[in-house]
Amino acid sequence: MSEPNEPVPGLKQKKVFKIIVLGDSGVGKTCLTYRFCEGQFLDKSEATIGVDFRERTVRIRNEDIKLQLWDTAGQERFRKSMVQHYYRNVHAVVIVYDVTKPETFHSIANWMQEVESHGLTGAPRVLVGNKCDCGTPESRLATTYAQRLADKHGMPLFETSALLDSECDNVESIFMTLAHKLYSKQPLRVLSVEGERGPRLVTLSRQKRNNSSNDSCLCS
Amino acid sequence: MESISPDGDSGDKYTINGDCSPTSNKDSNSLNHAKNIDDISTPSELKFDEDFEFEDPDVTKKRKELEKCLSNPDVVNLEQWVNFAKSKAGLISDEYRRKIWPLLVGVTQEEMTEPPSLDELSTHPEYNQVVLDVNRSLKRFPPGIPYEQRVALQDQLTVLILRVIMKYPHLKYYQGYHDVAITLLLVCGDKASFPLLCRLSYGPSAPLAPFMQTTMQPTQHLLNYMLPVIRRADERLSDCLEKSGVGTMFALPWYLTWFGHSLNRYADVVRLYDYFLCAAPLFPVYVTAALVLHRAPDVLLCDCDMAMMHCLLSRLPDDLPFEDILVTAKKLYDENDPTDLEPEVAALEKREEQQRRADEERMRRRAAERAGRGRAGGWRALPAALRRPGPRRAALALAAALLAVYVYYRPDLFREREDDL
Repeated sequence: MSEPNEPVPGLKQKKVFKIIVLGDSGVGKTCLTYRFCEGQFLDKSEATIGVDFRERTVRIRNEDIKLQLWDTAGQERFRKSMVQHYYRNVHAVVIVYDVTKPETFHSIANWMQEVESHGLTGAPRVLVGNKCDCGTPESRLATTYAQRLADKHGMPLFETSALLDSECDNVESIFMTLAHKLYSKQPLRVLSVEGERGPRLVTLSRQKRNNSSNDSCLCS
Repeated sequence: MESISPDGDSGDKYTINGDCSPTSNKDSNSLNHAKNIDDISTPSELKFDEDFEFEDPDVTKKRKELEKCLSNPDVVNLEQWVNFAKSKAGLISDEYRRKIWPLLVGVTQEEMTEPPSLDELSTHPEYNQVVLDVNRSLKRFPPGIPYEQRVALQDQLTVLILRVIMKYPHLKYYQGYHDVAITLLLVCGDKASFPLLCRLSYGPSAPLAPFMQTTMQPTQHLLNYMLPVIRRADERLSDCLEKSGVGTMFALPWYLTWFGHSLNRYADVVRLYDYFLCAAPLFPVYVTAALVLHRAPDVLLCDCDMAMMHCLLSRLPDDLPFEDILVTAKKLYDENDPTDLEPEVAALEKREEQQRRADEERMRRRAAERAGRGRAGGWRALPAALRRPGPRRAALALAAALLAVYVYYRPDLFREREDDL
């Protein structure tokens, strides 16, 4: 069976956007990427050891775009030296926290620092509060609080649940937002050719500012 | 399910092709291991070794020998147990493993003590991380196991792990340690698995000890031995891997968990443990090399791209001929002693270090360029940049000059970009 996405000889190769998914252990990074790439909830998810990889092809303005999601281990000991390698040529960043665990939200500062230490300050980023199906509204981290932090770092906030089928559209929009943002940055982020993203190119996004309050889920 | 496009572009569609599932080797019929084990055991069957209808005559013979030895274990020496564990089909059944695994690592009956209660251990700083990983280890339990029994086993698993890291406080828990612990626990029970796991974790030649250091640096170093082993055996394959830049990360969970995390079939996992428990600490790395060599045809066909390669290699097919792979690994080990490989590993690590430095330099340049491009923080960044060494100052001055010219000609764009941020 031939894959519809197989590159046709003579035609231009598909664009690839690399997205790294970060966040504390157990916030649901694996389930989130699985939900997006496989369209369902990963029932028996396990701890990620090292780095996992998933991908999906999306279509933007009649062009096939390959989104590569790098799902990383949450435990800190894997980060130093190991995951480093995977920051190379990353185009966008997703930082995930668990809305029922404030400590995972407080780690965001560290994650931001790590992102910046890898020179990704200019890359599109989104903040994702996962597991909004869990706990009581009172036990969940207040959206306004998270929104403030997201605004501070100039990134859109999404609250979602990888578990709920009703939330899958929201999971879609997380990655589609990034895909559109990256797409609009073309031709500055073309393909994944090493060393091609020369420093002489000036990145000028023409995309209108995202109204992030529309992105929040209504699951409370 | 409908796709959502945030900017309302109706032309957006997607196709799901996310999981690049493993390709299974059609020629696996030629493997030399007990075929019936293969056919009967599914990923889900824990007690794979019961109710055989057909059994390889060699395995039947071995089973009889094992039973004979176990009926009078005092007259059997370690070498004989090791021989059983390493040769074809390993220790065959969990019933035998339960008795022989402790013998392989020299655990005595006296060491098998009653575990403490979970409450006594819950103050440990790693407690939360361990519980988090243990709670997510459902896949490792036999399906259909009654809920209460599974929860009890999970508690035992948490206790087992915490006991070890409390006994040796300098050893750090890593994600994947629980995969080793659960395999021992399922086979040997909570009393015997504690001294067993201690032996594997602590000591100069304890195989898991390098994984439990403060950083993963020692692990990464040891895993690097895989690459020269592959290069010596198959240069073309090695070139292909190197060109893709796939690194060794795909094999990290294999090594850290002795494949417990990555294989779907319980029977394969315990078979490998039979061998690893009495093999050289680095032997699992040779198994990873043998495994990659076994999959060479797939690797050579794969796009020479880091992501694709990582994807192909990290997902293991269910029909791997592990008896053959173990034989190959043994041969590789005999022919390529770790000490012989040291210079090659050192050269490799030097190259990686250079690459890392080049990346860092590139990152610094990019950051400087961004600062020079004058976002809101542009002016604030300037004094800090001026404190840096001369060449960079010159580069910055040039960047600032270019920026000034740029802004002069296109102030509109500049403003729009700021809005966008």
